[in-house]
Amino acid sequence: MSVIPVRLGPAETKLIEQLQAVGASAEAERLAAVGLPTRRVEAYHYTDLKLLLRAVPELAEGSAVTDGSALAIAGAFRFGIANGRVQAHGAAPAGVIVGHTKGGVLTTRDDVVTRLNGAFAADALTLDLTGAVAPVIQIDRRVEGRAGHSTSSARIFVGDGGSAVIVEVYSGSDEAHLTNHSTFLQVGKGATVTHITVNLMSAKATHFATSEYLLGEDAKLRTLVINAGAAVSRTQVFPRFAGARAHADVTGLNLVSDGQHADITMDALHAVPHTSSKPLFKSIARGRSKAVVQGRLVVARDAQKTDAKLMSQGLMLSDEAEILVKPELEIYADDVVCGHGSTCGQLDDDHLFYLVSRGISKPEAETMLVRAFLAELIDPIEDEALNAALTGVIEGWLAKG
Amino acid sequence: MTTPMLEIRDLHVRIEEREILKGVNLVVPKGEVHAIMGRNGSGKSTLSYVLAGKDDYEITSGEVLLDGQNILEMEPSERAVAGLFLAFQYPIEIPGVATMTFLKAALNATRKAKGEGEISTPDFMRAVKEAGASLNIDSTMLKRALNVGFSGGEKKRAEILQMALLKPKMCVLDETDSGLDIDALQVVSKGVNALRDGTRSMLVITHYQRLLNHIVPDVVHVFSDGKVVESGTKELALELEAKGYAGFDGEKAA
Repeated sequence: MSVIPVRLGPAETKLIEQLQAVGASAEAERLAAVGLPTRRVEAYHYTDLKLLLRAVPELAEGSAVTDGSALAIAGAFRFGIANGRVQAHGAAPAGVIVGHTKGGVLTTRDDVVTRLNGAFAADALTLDLTGAVAPVIQIDRRVEGRAGHSTSSARIFVGDGGSAVIVEVYSGSDEAHLTNHSTFLQVGKGATVTHITVNLMSAKATHFATSEYLLGEDAKLRTLVINAGAAVSRTQVFPRFAGARAHADVTGLNLVSDGQHADITMDALHAVPHTSSKPLFKSIARGRSKAVVQGRLVVARDAQKTDAKLMSQGLMLSDEAEILVKPELEIYADDVVCGHGSTCGQLDDDHLFYLVSRGISKPEAETMLVRAFLAELIDPIEDEALNAALTGVIEGWLAKG
Repeated sequence: MTTPMLEIRDLHVRIEEREILKGVNLVVPKGEVHAIMGRNGSGKSTLSYVLAGKDDYEITSGEVLLDGQNILEMEPSERAVAGLFLAFQYPIEIPGVATMTFLKAALNATRKAKGEGEISTPDFMRAVKEAGASLNIDSTMLKRALNVGFSGGEKKRAEILQMALLKPKMCVLDETDSGLDIDALQVVSKGVNALRDGTRSMLVITHYQRLLNHIVPDVVHVFSDGKVVESGTKELALELEAKGYAGFDGEKAA
């Protein structure tokens, strides 16, 4: 049987050149053989990278320095990563040990974004957190200078019984960057962690981020992905429930305006008995834009008593907006409670009428209802300064409408 | 002659091809409380929604004057700040909107229309407390999302609280007694009566005479098949209760 060669576009050709330049010849060969995924690859059905990734900029210069942040959070302790390089930082707060490691941090999987991250990752930030870490830990990943292809990675361990709130902010100069960031976060036994990623990339950029989670016994995790920037973005969330009574509230928000395409893809694995998850994803689309939510729940054969409920809700603020939602349940155990639901629509006319009938102007009433739609995602964020900062991101987006 | 608070002139309204209001004429002078009684489906609730400005209806002819000003071309929010208030038969539950946030936004909208600045938080808290005092509204109710998880009685009390806070000049109460037990009915009626000040006007829509024992109207109108067919004193309500609507509109009881 002969293999039909894949026709490679300029983006793929450039990526292959860059892979060879960094010595990742195996990845270069693989990409040359299969190309970027198209809509025929199920995991990229709504985010056809061959179509969406038209050009790849030069590898970002590693010498860039940054002390900028796109999101100010009062009281947070900040780490900066500029063009893939970890920046100098002040004395780490109590319970935080900072280190470096080489290369990628994600578990190998058949996914092009993950593979490219592993191939290009050079300098990874490592954080070992012990006990209750008081300040919010903020990791700012920026791309400075002219358009660049930038990769970064971070590995975070939260020790048994520990607690931490970690925020990652992706931003950069106003150029057509290509970014690919990764985080591996291990939540120890009985630990409680909140992990938030905020994509505030330039509207010209293409942005990929992958967060992989490993949850131990009795671990409690809350995650929130906010996709508010970039022309094309895909944020991948891969939680693995590896200890009994581990629970995760996996949440996400796509905010897309004219010309934007944002994708949140979750692939959760309930690997052991008695674990639970409550994935909740919301999208607001206006103008001619596209929001994608893919949620996959895999329950292993041994993972009896898994309790997982996946929900996706969309709010369309224009006729040209598209919200594409795909749940996938793959259940091998026979004693589980798993479900999924999805709603999509415009603001409720009856809600709107009730508010305006009390004298509230229509635009103000609409804003109140949009805020109400998002309250479920933002209200559980307990840190006041962080909550305010995230609310600011959302209000800023609404105000631009 | 002084300008009436509300004047409806030959109002015709349809939904799609069906005419619901067929020439309503009604005048509510300042300071008076009028009741509209009519059987289910006679168009009473349609009238209340049309007054408030819900856009599901097509107004084919007629005028509605609020204190002399034609309101049919106005947005619902403009009508509200001009002093019109509709107490809903079924107040809407809005998850995610805090009751206090909503009350403050509504009050500030009214103040803005009067050229007043935004109310300070302490003044706002005081105003809510004052308005809610006689309505048995406790603070836990106000901490919840707007109408979410409220009992039928709580929802109606919350409507009257809004009315007391916003101080409208023309109140339309749509089936305010529906879903209320006797105790709740007394609380709500007391709240409404406290707002009768000789200037403010009210239009009380109901199909039971029972509410009118508590909120005693100056004039009772009988509504049938999309228009007012008879008007009289409060005794008319008693007569209606005794004879049934068939005695007035000639239609057989539903």
